[in-house]
Amino acid sequence: MKKKNLLWLCLFFVQTFLFAQNDSTKVEEEAPPLDLSQFSGEAEVATSNLAGMKSYCSSKIFGISPTKLISIGYDYQLGFDMKANPETAGTETQSLNALHGLRLLANFPVVSKNSWTLNIGASYWESNYNFAKPDELRSPTMRSLNQSALRNAGLSFTVFKPLDAKHFILFLSNHDLNGDYRLDEFQSLSLLKHSLMGIFGWRKHDRLQFGFGAARTYRVGAMNYIPVILYNYTSENRKWGIEAVLPARANYRRTFSARSLLLVGYELEGNSYHLRNRGNVFGAGRDDLELRRSEMRLKLSYERSLYDFLWISLQAGYRYNWRNSYNVDRGDFFRSFFSSDPYAFQNTIGNNLFFNISFNLVSP
Amino acid sequence: MKKAVFLFVLVIFVLSANAYSQTTEADALVGLWAPSSGKARIQVYKKGDKYSGRIVWLKEPNDSEGKPKLDKNNADETLRKKPLLGYVMLKDFGYVSKNLWENGTIYDPENGSTYSCKIELIDSNTLEVRGFIGVAIFGRTDTWKRIQMKN
Repeated sequence: MKKKNLLWLCLFFVQTFLFAQNDSTKVEEEAPPLDLSQFSGEAEVATSNLAGMKSYCSSKIFGISPTKLISIGYDYQLGFDMKANPETAGTETQSLNALHGLRLLANFPVVSKNSWTLNIGASYWESNYNFAKPDELRSPTMRSLNQSALRNAGLSFTVFKPLDAKHFILFLSNHDLNGDYRLDEFQSLSLLKHSLMGIFGWRKHDRLQFGFGAARTYRVGAMNYIPVILYNYTSENRKWGIEAVLPARANYRRTFSARSLLLVGYELEGNSYHLRNRGNVFGAGRDDLELRRSEMRLKLSYERSLYDFLWISLQAGYRYNWRNSYNVDRGDFFRSFFSSDPYAFQNTIGNNLFFNISFNLVSP
Repeated sequence: MKKAVFLFVLVIFVLSANAYSQTTEADALVGLWAPSSGKARIQVYKKGDKYSGRIVWLKEPNDSEGKPKLDKNNADETLRKKPLLGYVMLKDFGYVSKNLWENGTIYDPENGSTYSCKIELIDSNTLEVRGFIGVAIFGRTDTWKRIQMKN
């Protein structure tokens, strides 16, 4: 019996020793030397030629400004004048001290693989109108804006599908609830505004991508269909570049380091906002009003890392509204750029400087 | 008594064999790997019970002046003169469950940032390397392929 026990114990120590021996050979204090010539020729060929691996182009190019995963910001416009019925004898002019509001954004890379990516985003913007003499407002649009801020809450879906190492498809959809609603007086989801964009693109090399496509957009206030051009470029020395999705925005980028950059350019901001006809301020039965708001922002943005992935963005610029970019329509419909259809209510607003600060968590 | 000794030895044997098997599985990460960009090759090696990876080949090893590329984007200024070739960009990965290594970090020389990282072995020659910020949802996955040894 003792012999058998001894045998078992010997077996135990032998196997432990053997396994320990095997293991110890794999423990290395520093990186072991490596001779690439011992590997197949694949060690020094393009990844696209590796067995079983299809190469896909990346959605980014070198040097492009970082994508914001979470953004908490505040936008502030200096005072300006607003005119109601500017083309009639009953013109009313009122001054605003400021137009300001919170801007929140979250962007989740739900699928992020070489073969495709899906980002789901959520955003919330406010526009609070501070009239200088709120008790003297007569225009229904002004009274409505004074009563409740304009709000924009939206969901976005962005799909990047590389076809191979050089070609890709980009698809973006936005679904926004815009209006002068409040959280305790929410707006019907039937008033969602749907924007879509599709682009077929080329990634010529690590510093250049471009593409062509079309969009259904509200950036000019009313719903429109427009062609779009994507163009992202970084210079060979990586000190400057262009980032553009025309006609929505274009920026010249000056890169100071991997952690700080300056953008100079413009952005078209706009949407169609449902105005609630509170107290029949616009007249009885007018419950389908849409404020067609659109503006061009000429701006300078300085972005830098505060700590690792936490970046700050400081913007300053000039907000410009052109004629018919603040009028009110009845209903949500396609309105051509060249349409002479009359608006339900006409307004014009003056232009002025704006400032924006945001703290952002940026993407890998 | 006899049964107790037998059971004790058997349990120890099974546990040891299992530990050996775990070690072998964990070491599947060791080797030469190609990220999808095709611009580098990474040698993954074992250091203690952790796994690290260093850059052993660059498609473009030199900068525009013909000098070896340096880690010029590193947030730590003292490291900006360190060559990229040989740089340990994967650090401190532990084997946590079947085909999964976690709790490590990955360094991106393009922007000088270090991200949390986890690595999953999809098959014996394919890795999915996910760099992320804080939680895995805020991240990006890259597929790496193993470079085979010559027969």
